[in-house]
Amino acid sequence: MKFTATKEKLLEGLQQVQNVVSTRTTLPILSNVLLQAQEGGVSLTTTDLDVGVRGKFEANVEKVGATTLPARRLFTIIRELPSSEVSIEVDGKNAASIRSGQSFFKILGLPEEEFPPLPKFENAKVVTMRQKDLREGLRKTSYAISTDETRYVLNGVLFSFKENKLTLVATDGRRLAMVDIELEFPRSHEADIIVPTKAVTELQRLLTDDGDVKVSVGTGQIAFDLNNTLLVSKLIEGNYPNYKQVIPTETKERVTLERETFLNCLRRVSLLASDKSNSIKLNFTKNNIDITANTPEVGEAKETLPVAYKGREFSIAFNPEFLMAPLRNLSEDEVFFDLIDEMSPGVLKIQTPFLYVLMPMRISS
Amino acid sequence: MDERCKALWAKLSAALKPQVSTDTFKRWFSAVELIKATEDEVTFRVPNNIYQFWIESNHMAALQSAITIVCGAPRTVRFLTASESNGEEIGLTEPEKLEFPSNTRTVGSGVSLNPRNTFESFVVGPNNQIAHAASLAVAQAPARTYNPLFIYGGVGLGKTHLMQAIGQYVWNKKKTSKVMYLSSEVFINEFIDAIQHNTLVKFRKRYRQADLLLIDDIQFLGGKERSQEEFFHTFNTLFDGHKQIVLSSDRPASEIANLEHRLVSRFEWGLTAELQPPDIETRLAILRKKARALQIKLSDEVYQFLATRIRTNVRRLEGALMRVASFASLSGKELTQETIEHLLKDILLEERRQTVTIEQIQRKVAEHFDVRLADMTSKRRPASIAFPRQVAMYLARELTKASLNEIGDAFGGRDHGTVLHACKLVKKRMKEQDNIRQTISFIDSALQR
Repeated sequence: MKFTATKEKLLEGLQQVQNVVSTRTTLPILSNVLLQAQEGGVSLTTTDLDVGVRGKFEANVEKVGATTLPARRLFTIIRELPSSEVSIEVDGKNAASIRSGQSFFKILGLPEEEFPPLPKFENAKVVTMRQKDLREGLRKTSYAISTDETRYVLNGVLFSFKENKLTLVATDGRRLAMVDIELEFPRSHEADIIVPTKAVTELQRLLTDDGDVKVSVGTGQIAFDLNNTLLVSKLIEGNYPNYKQVIPTETKERVTLERETFLNCLRRVSLLASDKSNSIKLNFTKNNIDITANTPEVGEAKETLPVAYKGREFSIAFNPEFLMAPLRNLSEDEVFFDLIDEMSPGVLKIQTPFLYVLMPMRISS
Repeated sequence: MDERCKALWAKLSAALKPQVSTDTFKRWFSAVELIKATEDEVTFRVPNNIYQFWIESNHMAALQSAITIVCGAPRTVRFLTASESNGEEIGLTEPEKLEFPSNTRTVGSGVSLNPRNTFESFVVGPNNQIAHAASLAVAQAPARTYNPLFIYGGVGLGKTHLMQAIGQYVWNKKKTSKVMYLSSEVFINEFIDAIQHNTLVKFRKRYRQADLLLIDDIQFLGGKERSQEEFFHTFNTLFDGHKQIVLSSDRPASEIANLEHRLVSRFEWGLTAELQPPDIETRLAILRKKARALQIKLSDEVYQFLATRIRTNVRRLEGALMRVASFASLSGKELTQETIEHLLKDILLEERRQTVTIEQIQRKVAEHFDVRLADMTSKRRPASIAFPRQVAMYLARELTKASLNEIGDAFGGRDHGTVLHACKLVKKRMKEQDNIRQTISFIDSALQR
């Protein structure tokens, strides 16, 4: 196998796939990247057996072939190369010679046959959607994924294909984020699947604002085909909890807030929320919200935010991190904050189908 | 839900209502059922897992304070989702069906003794002579000579084989004796089960009636405090009643993490026998014996090849033999070195991986002593760095084939004299100080794994 490519293209290709490389050392082949040179380009594949990514980059291929090379090492070498042209040649024993300008490297690989193949998707249910929609949807939900491994069904995002709608849901038991995406697909494609965190993170890196993504759902696995890149992942087995139970059916008060102003206020006030209690208090009075935080023996902070509010006067406390996370990940200027009382969950909404349910914290005094 | 639970739940609800909003109560607690309440535990049944997740995350404080108000003290709260609790009800009836006749060979576990694991089929070499002799002595005269017998050694060296051999020997001699063979994990699981279903008395009776108790992989007891306590009493009862106990572990008792001292000292009470990886002659003997048992015929070169290439694990050795033999009989092809190598690619790779490099040693030692990897090669030499470095040099000398000079080079260009001195010093201190010897053998075994 022999090819030349620009350093930039090669690096870009490696960056797309290298995050997946396994950190487990039980199978040495998994820390390698599979390179397959065909006419006109080279494809790169990495996998940790749960998630796999395949990307392509343009190259001038002189001799077709395939091998596997240690991914991290290859990446660090390519990054440091002095010239913008790189040539890689692999001999029969999977030793790769890398030449660029005055530099020469030789690194040892493993044979291609040892690399586990990415799963095949036959009879899969295929749905095509805009990359932008999925990217936005994941951005608005993925921060709420649970990291508690004992609740493994929550360690991912629910993809619920139902009634010409794709609903994405993530929750960790204290908050829940949900997005609906309008989508056309046949009745037979309806399904509830859970895509694990790692795949979601990688997918978010790969998705762009243009073009389509082809989603194929097979048994126990899913593939996302983004023209040049392919991501496959195992699905989390089990049933996602009935999230609808969490969403309050009716709320009493609604305030409309400017997202950025609100976020900035929260960010400033949260500087004085103590690590231990880690809560900030929102005091609702007529046309006004006072946002306060205080830590005993440290100090306190207060911001006043004028809003249109005519409801009951009351105070409610939230974990500032949990309240800021959705605000950071939304792009709309305006958000609606719906509340019932100081002990019931608050709900953040925007003009489009999005919902964020957040449990309040107990106010001690 | 019986009447008592119903009444308790009614009281709890009343205490809970003021603490959560009406909506919350209706949404999350109206569907909850109290199904069991004991001295220190209350169990709720919820329709599905979102109830459990949400109540645990958000309303636990309110629930606990309600419990404290009603019962006077906090309780452990458990949740069962509807589907789980159905399973539980089935589980409740199951133990009744499992009545063990008094002369069963195995009691309490699904694992029966493998008839192939006998003393006759065990290949004795210098590596396992003591363990074999001790096991045989125990089998011939239980509870007379060595009690307890503690066998330890790495994976696939024959711990289970010896234990099962003892069990079969004793049972074959006297069919009425109660032999119990199980792994410590089964013990722990059954103990937990017994706590859950309140059948501790039955559990104890079953274990404490054994004439010969064989517990495999005792290291899993590490960190399980209540199981350890229970096992401690079982151990004492059996020991006082002059019943034989045999234990196996992958490491010496003193090195099992989080094992109570009183257990460690009891384990070391009788005889401790180590199983070491077999030498080449023993490996050849094992291969031949196995081949004869399976009626396989292979050339001497093949045996020689397998015995030299697979060194650490008897189970793996036998697996390799099986693979080669089945390939030979299925394909009918001539067995050349290349075909064997190709056939056993993964096994050989795994074996090769276990040869330790100096860098791995440095990494492990640095990690263990919490110094930087760079300190291994640096010129600095305060005692806190110099000693770990010397330990690493010693291990490099012991575990790799590198020469003194090569080791010196790997440690930042030191000369061979420095390395030699380090080895001598470490050896001396190992002899003098027990804790250093233990530390080093711990790192050693971690590296070999």
